[in-house]
Amino acid sequence: MIRRALLAVLAAAVLGACSAPPLRVYALSGAGGGDEGLRVTALAKDGQLLVSFSLADGLTRELRQAIDSGLPATITYVVELRRPAALWFDGTVASATVTATVRFDNLTRQHQLSRTIDGRGEEPRVTEDEEEVRRWLTEFDRLPLFSTAQLEPNMVYYVKVRAHARPRLSGGLFFWPWGRGGKTGFAPRFTYLGDDRG
Amino acid sequence: MLTLRDVPPPTRRPAVRPRGRRPFRDNPLQILAVIGLLAAALGLALTFASGSWRYSPDFLTEFVLYALSVADLTMILALVFVLARNIIKMMVERRRGLPFARFRSKLVGALLGMTLVPAVLVLLVGSELIRSNVDRWFNAPMEEIVASANRMASDYYSERQLLTSGTAARLSRALAALPFPEVDPVAVRDVIQPEVAQQRVSMVEVYRVARARTGAPVVSSVVDVAVPSLPREYNRASADRLAERVAAGSREAHGPEPLGNGGQLLRAAEPIRARDGTLAGVVVASDFLTSEMAARSRQMTDAYEAYNQLKVLKNPLLGVYLSFFLMVTLMILVSATWMGLYLAARITRPVQRLAAAARAIGAGHFDQRLEPETSDEFGSLMEAFNTMASELSVSRQNLERSARTLERQHQEVEARRRYIQTILDRITTGVISLDADDRVSTVNTAAARLLGLEGDQEGRPVGELLGRPDLEPLAKLIAVARPGDADKPAQEVSLAREGRELDLAVATATLHGQGGAIEGRLIVFDDITPLIRAQKVAAWREVARRLAHEIKNPLTPIQLCAERLARHFQGAPPATRELVTECTRTIVGEVESLKGLVDEFSQFARMPAPRRIPTALPPLLADTLGLYVGLFRDVTIETRFPADLPPVRIDPEQIRRVVINLVDNAIEAMDRRGRVVVEVQHAPAERLVHLIVADNGPGIPEGEREKLFLPYYSTKRRGSGLGLAIVRRIVAEHGGTIEVTANVPRGTRFTIDLPA
Repeated sequence: MIRRALLAVLAAAVLGACSAPPLRVYALSGAGGGDEGLRVTALAKDGQLLVSFSLADGLTRELRQAIDSGLPATITYVVELRRPAALWFDGTVASATVTATVRFDNLTRQHQLSRTIDGRGEEPRVTEDEEEVRRWLTEFDRLPLFSTAQLEPNMVYYVKVRAHARPRLSGGLFFWPWGRGGKTGFAPRFTYLGDDRG
Repeated sequence: MLTLRDVPPPTRRPAVRPRGRRPFRDNPLQILAVIGLLAAALGLALTFASGSWRYSPDFLTEFVLYALSVADLTMILALVFVLARNIIKMMVERRRGLPFARFRSKLVGALLGMTLVPAVLVLLVGSELIRSNVDRWFNAPMEEIVASANRMASDYYSERQLLTSGTAARLSRALAALPFPEVDPVAVRDVIQPEVAQQRVSMVEVYRVARARTGAPVVSSVVDVAVPSLPREYNRASADRLAERVAAGSREAHGPEPLGNGGQLLRAAEPIRARDGTLAGVVVASDFLTSEMAARSRQMTDAYEAYNQLKVLKNPLLGVYLSFFLMVTLMILVSATWMGLYLAARITRPVQRLAAAARAIGAGHFDQRLEPETSDEFGSLMEAFNTMASELSVSRQNLERSARTLERQHQEVEARRRYIQTILDRITTGVISLDADDRVSTVNTAAARLLGLEGDQEGRPVGELLGRPDLEPLAKLIAVARPGDADKPAQEVSLAREGRELDLAVATATLHGQGGAIEGRLIVFDDITPLIRAQKVAAWREVARRLAHEIKNPLTPIQLCAERLARHFQGAPPATRELVTECTRTIVGEVESLKGLVDEFSQFARMPAPRRIPTALPPLLADTLGLYVGLFRDVTIETRFPADLPPVRIDPEQIRRVVINLVDNAIEAMDRRGRVVVEVQHAPAERLVHLIVADNGPGIPEGEREKLFLPYYSTKRRGSGLGLAIVRRIVAEHGGTIEVTANVPRGTRFTIDLPA
């Protein structure tokens, strides 16, 4: 009996440790919440749901140092179109993954910038302007990520964005790396009234 | 009480060993395999750790660090689990007072202390050493060196790029004088050829820009001039894209292009604008960097970047190293803890098994066996235990066999004892057994009844048992007959018990054990009172018969002679005549009296057997008692008859005589003044009818009561003394009994019990 109880406690602890990050995200879910640094807006127009988001403190000192050291730095944004549920977890209608990557060449002193949306790459760019690098990594304006055909009229939706940067460099307890999650932001809830009336 | 029969029958038990397959701790192969796996995992981890600096940051931070952390957490939990489980187990064992629980606790505590303390110290010191070593990687001189080298390479790169851009700008201004887009390639070549010839740049490419219908610029090559030494591996498309970007308005007008041989082309593009400012063409100047120069510059930059990346990844790397170190420490701790517990179990478990097996044998499971797990001293001990258990088992079987035999014999003896006891309880002969010390062993029911003994007499000295005054004759007889005397014929002993004379025929016998030893005595006695009484009655009857025969015969001649004398002396003188008459009258009277007496004796001797018929007792009694009506003025006769009295099988005439005899006696005893009660009671349970005649006369002393029924015993002035003897005889021949007791409050009470 004692052996079984201790085994159950052990299994629960391991499971809890492994599932800690997603549980934390679920706890924060809900329109209007999330981290202050990640601002999200959504606009339905021309059959598309245009999502804009900016990560205010996305280019942290650690990430800047990583970029300067020549490491490729990527910020990944997981954008989810969600429908609130009263008695259960909110449902995800659609999701898209947006990545912005920068790599700095210390020889030419140029930043190579690239972005992908759901794996589809845009034309890479080269710049020496650090402000442009910051904007490239942290500001996204009116990305046509979702089609309004996925939305039902008169239903309430919201957009949730989770952002996390790689490489993850901030410290914590050396044997407890799970304290360094990303940031989460939510667009205000909106009621989809129909085509082109967002 | 637990008897041998209560012990469960022996069942063959397998040797005490863990059920199911062999446990891990007893399987050396499995232990070795696990140790091998751990060693392999450790080697793999060491190999991995040694190359950790080569892995990408994402791999380090997204996989390695998590994997190590999960491994550490798992091992911490495993350690806590193992420790908690065993601590709880030991606490339970100590609380239950299991053997060797305290010893095991101390052993485990010592082993854990010897393991935990050094391991924790090594962990703390080692962690600090790792931290300080990692910090030492990054020192100011090294950082300055790599930064300076990178700055030099970068500056050189920038300078060459600026020169190329300057050349492109100068050529752009020179080409702006030519009529683009329909420019003559020869004219263009004439402008750019000197620049290439003077090796200010290695290659110049000129493009014209036209407009498509959509207004988008369309770039096409006009002419390109390159130095002969320029390797042919360069990519023209690269220059085309650069020209297109510049034509599209991009400010990104320069950039390096790596060549296949390791060299690089530093390209710079400038728009060619016509006099009206419109874009007419694009000139792309390229400067060739040799592979050696490019490689050295890249090396310097790579060194700088590697240093900085190491610096950036300091924390994750430190986390990896510390986690790895923690993992190794935990691995050692878990292994050492398990080993400590394993050693403690290896030492104490055989002893515990021995103790458990010994307890099982103590509980009667003699087939308990232990399977030796090792071939060391513990194994020898278990073999010795098994041998002892086998011998015990054989002894137990022999014992059980003997016990069964004894039990059977005991049952036989017990059955015989019960048989004898039943006989003793049922027979009318009194039996008292005495042990060698003359203490009472048994007293049967008849003996207790005859001697009036109550309660348990076992163990009492025979002198005390027979110490009552009324049993004194018997005590004297027993005292005279000593144990070991030859058995003698039965002797008669008369006891006076409760006013009655009890005649016993007493015999003693010596009880001999095996070998002739005297184990005690038996006192056997029979109640021969009825026999004595019958003998007396028979004797009296014989006396009566002889008296009737011997006396009655001469009485008639005597009477006749007396009457003749009287008649003869009728004529004699008056004095003589009176004398003769008086004498003869006396003689005749006495003869008549003697005749009556003889008749009574004759009746007593020749009393016929009763002819019993069912008779209603109340009418018979009423009729009989009716004879007394008016005879005695001061005597009251009261009758009490139940209403539902069933008929009784009696001889009415003889019972009538009995009642008359008793009532006559009562009236005479009351001196013809008093009350006589004649009562009949029915006792269905006893199947008896009680006929009671009671008076309120002066009563009869207790010592005289039993003699009343003897022939020729009378308290009256007149009478033969045969009345009550006849009454007793009639009652006895009806199968009943008669008893005389004192009446309450006064008088005498005769009770006759007749079978109903």
